[in-house]
Formats: sequence, structure tokens, C-alpha cells
Amino acid sequence: MDVVNELLGGFAAALSPQNLLFAFIGCLVGTLIGVLPGIGPVAGVALLIPLTLNLEPTSAIIMLAAIFYGTAYGGTITSVLLNTPGEAASAITTIDGYAMTKKGRAGVALTIAAVGSFVGGVVATIGLVIAARPLGSLGLKIGPPEFFGLMVVGISLLVALAGKSMVRALISGVLGLLIAMVGIDPVAGAPRFTFGSDRLLDGVSFVAVIVGLFGLSEILMTATGGRNHPLTPGMRGLLPTRTDLRRSAPAILRGTGVGFLLGLIPGMTGSVSSLLSYGAERKFSRYRDELGSGAVEGVAGPETANNAHANGALIPLFTLGIPASPTIAVLMGAFLQQGLTPGPTLFTEHSEVAWAIIASLFIGNVILLVLNVPLVRLWTAILRIPEKILTALILLFLVIGSYTINYSVFDVFVMILFGVVGLAMRRLDIPLAPLVLTVVLGPLMERSLRESLDISQGSFTIFLTRPLTVVLLVIGVLIAASPLLRLRKPAALNEDPET
Amino acid sequence: MRPKASLAVAAALCISLALAACGPNNSSAGGAQNWPRKGKPVELIVSFAPGGAVDTAARLVAPILEKELGTNVEVVNKPGAGGQIGYTALTSAKPDGYTIGATGSPSVVVSPLDKSRGAKYTRDSFQPLGMQVIDPAVVGVAPDSPYNSLQDLIDAAKKTPSKITASTTGIQTGEHFAAVDIEQKTGAKFALVHFSEGASQATAAFLGGHVQVYIGSASDVTDLVKQKKIKLLGVMGEQRSEFLPDTPTFKEQGVDVISATARGYSAPAGLPAEVATKLEAALKKAIEDPAVESKMKALGLQTNYLSADEYKKFWGEQEETVKAVLPLVAKK
Repeated sequence: MDVVNELLGGFAAALSPQNLLFAFIGCLVGTLIGVLPGIGPVAGVALLIPLTLNLEPTSAIIMLAAIFYGTAYGGTITSVLLNTPGEAASAITTIDGYAMTKKGRAGVALTIAAVGSFVGGVVATIGLVIAARPLGSLGLKIGPPEFFGLMVVGISLLVALAGKSMVRALISGVLGLLIAMVGIDPVAGAPRFTFGSDRLLDGVSFVAVIVGLFGLSEILMTATGGRNHPLTPGMRGLLPTRTDLRRSAPAILRGTGVGFLLGLIPGMTGSVSSLLSYGAERKFSRYRDELGSGAVEGVAGPETANNAHANGALIPLFTLGIPASPTIAVLMGAFLQQGLTPGPTLFTEHSEVAWAIIASLFIGNVILLVLNVPLVRLWTAILRIPEKILTALILLFLVIGSYTINYSVFDVFVMILFGVVGLAMRRLDIPLAPLVLTVVLGPLMERSLRESLDISQGSFTIFLTRPLTVVLLVIGVLIAASPLLRLRKPAALNEDPET
Repeated sequence: MRPKASLAVAAALCISLALAACGPNNSSAGGAQNWPRKGKPVELIVSFAPGGAVDTAARLVAPILEKELGTNVEVVNKPGAGGQIGYTALTSAKPDGYTIGATGSPSVVVSPLDKSRGAKYTRDSFQPLGMQVIDPAVVGVAPDSPYNSLQDLIDAAKKTPSKITASTTGIQTGEHFAAVDIEQKTGAKFALVHFSEGASQATAAFLGGHVQVYIGSASDVTDLVKQKKIKLLGVMGEQRSEFLPDTPTFKEQGVDVISATARGYSAPAGLPAEVATKLEAALKKAIEDPAVESKMKALGLQTNYLSADEYKKFWGEQEETVKAVLPLVAKK
């Protein structure tokens, strides 16, 4: 077996003390970057590239890759503990993760997230080893029309996120679409809703929106007396029970599938994976009615998807040299600066480097698990900080985090504005999740729709002549229509604290 | 240590030693003559996100600029609106030599010309200091495509207008202008598909067979050529590209289209002459530094230094092309 031999060679290289150290540093730094709101994986990896320029290529890439998937886990920590997503892909985890914290089950949420991340990451890496080439070209089959179909499926999951009132969910979803419209029209180039400000030409920063919407509004809610006991420093049950594990298993499985497959598609981001995985839980989990009130599935699914996506997205990079997401593009820049060109030629010209990096992905995922499970105790200790000080600290993080997105004060004001919007929505009982869904998916859906119409020169038949597109569109319509068709009762008629 | 890294260190050492030897002689009194004041950093604004080609080039140049100027050079990213945020910051800074910026065309050329973008600067708000890189545009098709030359493709696009799909890396990018320029000069008509997320999206769609013609930068396709995944029909440079010696230029094939992405450095207009001279000399040193050049080459980018005057002329020529094509581009 050629592959096995080469992989073993890769392990030998990756397990050298030096490379192990770099993988460890990468995981640790990545986790910290993930914890800080605003500094997501893109900025994190980009800012650290200059530090790695004088390292061996293998060590440098191993460390940067570890930072990259370390952030995918780190973002969970603040989402669960403080209701403030550390990075975009963890936004949806706040819903059930924070609800679990309020029940004193923060430790369980973080442990399950670590286990899920591990499973997702390892399965995706196995995919990279055994079937990288066919999987890489599978991703290419997804052209703009199929991408549009996928987005329709994604948006249709809004009905699953609706909770008590479909009307309120639609208000939230449409508001999200409106926010997503701001900025330069991606196809015609005309500015929309920018009010003459060039700050808005790029649209509203998504991270600033969610940091304000979830983090700041939570603080405002507490300050205005809307919540009785915002932070219960519950330490009870750090480790998941057998029931927790049994319930998480199917969610982790689904999350792995969703994240891995979406990771293969160029242009998909980790946030889409975690959102769709949450939607899938809402739709298909046996315990779907508990979601929103601190169900472990709501953490296990999206967090697994997030990491499976991060590792799966390396497949198009390794097989085709195509960076599937902005973070991967930065990672690709690091390859190039080391004189390595990612793509099939990497395996012929620098095969020992390529296999060492792949082996390090396995090792990195193990390190991440080993590092984070014991650290859960430390992280949850954050909740013991007196509330007054903690609130001030969170505010500080929110401001720094939104500032560092573009190094611009404008984003801080965006964050504050959406903090107020979030407060209003919570007071009016309008759920936040549909807004996040449409803010993320809206621009992708618009872009793929208009690219498709560019290809067909304006004819909508392009969506009816491609089999995969038709299948996806039918699935989307069925999901959207399911409440009307009464395929099953509207979700969660019981109390839903998030709505 | 790897040979490349040790080379860089050696080069840096040589330069810093040379500088240390002649440094003290330059000191004289007076505001502009005293520039740069010791301890006062020079800010180098990059109007794009960290990690991209513009940012990488700037960060390679910065350490050598530092040694040449004898003060810190801080690379500051101000990304957004296709460079407009950073260009606004650059042109509204005081022209005292403490703020310079990376300028890339066509973005810096187009943004003030398109009135709907509301840019607060014009061509005259910039004072070019030197150009670093020129990256010509290329046209390619799938290896099994029936088109074997530029003429084949143009003939087909004339026979079946608006049927052959061609990718651009977004609206009003260099590739978009190039495509419209080709259409205008040959009478061919393509179905242009704008991939607003840039080259990687366009490449993915091309490799997946969702668009037939790829229009992109030479630096983006050098690896695809190695993998034999693209058949290049022409390069839009004055001469053939160093990286693609087998690809004929458009001019060789009788189509008078020149299109390239160019990157250089500029200051806000109104720089004192002494400061400008010092900055230009330092930039020339940094851009032509062998270690920097070899790093750029590894990125698939050909160093092509132009002095301030030449860069200014080049900028003017690009502006003329853009002005001619812009009405056609903005219409749709």
C-alpha cells in the first residue's frame, strides 16, 4: 500500500519533537484566537504568517494549519460560556450552548464540543487520505446553479428555526436578508443602501452583527433587568453523562456529514456548515423539541460540522490548489511563501512535506482534544468571576473584537447598533437564529443565482435542466412547505427561551 | 537554515552594513530635509486584507525600506470596498512622507472614475513613487476544448454571440475590462460570468466545466498550466510572460489588447521634493532587492520596477483605457 507507507513516513516526520511542539503551539494559539471575539481564523492565520517565514516549510504549515482548526474549536468557548460567539461559525452554538450554561452544564457543552470537533476533524482527514482526488472533483461538480439549490435548502431550514411563531421567524429572516443586501451589488456593481458612505460599500460586517446581536444584547438584557440570573456559575457535571453521549452521537454523525460535504465545495464557509447542521438537528433530531432550551444536540451538531468543514476544506486545496474559503486562501498564501504550491503537484514535487502535513492533521486533532478536555475546568472557572467585572470584561472584548475585524471604529458602532437591535428583538420575542441564517446565506444565494443567470444569459431553465439542481430545489421547497403540508406538527410548541 | 532564508539574511545584512557606513553623512537640518525623523514610523497603508498578494508584497518590501530609511515602517491593513477605504485613508493623510500606501490598478484607477462609488479622491490625489509588479491577464480554455488559438475562439464567439461563457474575477476588475476590450476590438461577444469572490471561485467554476473560457491573471494560472488543466490561448502583455514562455501575446496574434494588474507604491499628492526623492530611492532598492525578487517569483509574480515618472505615465495610460471601456462596463 503506497498511501499507507507514505502516510507512515508523514507520521514519522510530523512526530518529531520540533513538529509536535509547533502543532501544540498552533492548537493553543488557535484556541486563544478563537476565544477572542472578532479575531477569527482569517486574521489569526494571516497575522502569524510572518512569524513562520524562517521556519522549515513543514513546521510552518503544521503550525498554521493547527491555528486554523484550533480557532474552529476556540470560538465555541465564549459562545457557550458568555453567549458571545468567538468567531462567525460558532454563532449558532450560542443558542443551546448558553442555555446549557444557564442550567449549570457548561462543562458538558464544552466537552461534547471538543469530542465532536475531534470526530469531525479526524473523519474529514481520513477522507483526505483515502479519497482526496475523487472528492476534490466532486466539489467541482457544484457549479453556481447547484450552489443556488443548496442555498435554497439552507434558507428553507428557516421554518425549522421558527419556534413558536412563524410570522416572527419570518420578520427576523427578512430583516437578515435586508442587512445582507447592503453593499455593492456583486454583479451589476451598483451600491445598495450605502447612504453615500464608502464604509458600507462592502456591506455590514457579519461578525460585528452577530457579536452585537448575541453578546451585547445579552448584557443589555441583563442590565435592563430582563433576565433574572444571567450567569449561573454552575460547575456541576463537568463530564457528560452516558445519556449525553448517547444523544450526541447521532448529532455528531450528522454534523460530520454536513460539514465534510459542504467543506468540499469551493466558496462555502464554516458558518454555513454550522448553521445547516443546526437546522438539520431542528428538523431530524429525536429530541428536536428540546432544542433551544439547552439540548446537547444543539452544541454537538454545529461544532462537529464546523471542524469537519475546516478539515474537509483542505481537500480542494490539496487536490486542486483551490482555496475553498477565505481562511484556506490565507493558508494557501503561507504555502506559497514557503515556496510550495498547493495542488496535485505538491504530491509529486514535495511529497514528504505534503504527507507530513496530512499526518499532522491527525496529530493536531488529538492534541486539540487532549488540550481542551482538561482545560474545560479552567474555562468554566471564568464564570466564577464576579458578574460586575465579568460584564466589563466582556464589553471590552466585544469592542476590541469588532474593532479588529477591519481595524475600523465603524464596525464598533455597527456592533453597538446591533446590540440594541438584538435587545429589541428579544423584548419583542423575535428569534435571533433566522436572522443569522439569512445574513449568512443571503449573499451566497444571491451571488450563485446571478452567476447562474449570467451563464444562461438570463434564462431560468438552467435550474430545471441540471438534475442535481432540481433535486436540491425540490428538497428545499418540501422543507419550506412542510408546516403547511403538516408533514409534522410545527416545531417546539413548548416553552422556548430563545424566542 | 534553508538556502533561501540564509540568502535573505545575508542580503539584509549587507544592506544594513552599507547603510550604517553612509548613514551619518546624510543628516542635515530643516523640516523636509530632516525626514524621516528618528523614531517616527512611516505608515504603509495596504488597502487589502492581510495575506493577499498586495499585502505580501508590501510586507516583503517593508523591512528593507526600514533599513534604507532608518526608521520603522509599519504595514497597516485598511481593507474594504475594493481598496477604496484604504485609498481614501492614504489620500487624506498629510503629504509629509510618514504615510505611504500600496496602490494597485485597476482598482485605484477605476474607483474615482465610477461616480456611483462616491470616492473622495481622484487620480491627482496620488503621487506615484514606484511600481513593483506587473501581472498580465491571460485567456485560456479547457485542454479538450475545440479552440486551439485566439482566432478560433474569437471566430466562434462571433458566430454564436453571447453563447460562450467566460469568467471574470468580478465586476470592474482588470479581467472584466480586458474582456470588454476584446469584445470591442474584435466584434466577438461572450457571456461574461462575474465571480465576485475572485480568482479562486472563477478557477473552481472553470475546472468544473461551468464556464468555458477562463480570463484571469498569469500568476493565477501558472500552476494550472503545469497540471495541464488549462490551454492558454494568449497573454495580454507587451511581451510574453517569463512564467509562460510558450503562450503568445494577443498582439502577436493580431489583437491589440494590453491588460495587466499592476502594483506599486504611492504617497498623498504634494510630497516635498526631498522626501519624494528619498522615498523613491529607498523603494527602488527594496523592490529590486534580490531576496525580495526571488520571493515574488516564488509567488508567480514578475518584478518589473518602474520609477515614479514611468509609473505615473503607466497609470495615465491605464486610466485612458479604463475611461474608454467604463461606459460599456457600467451599462450592464
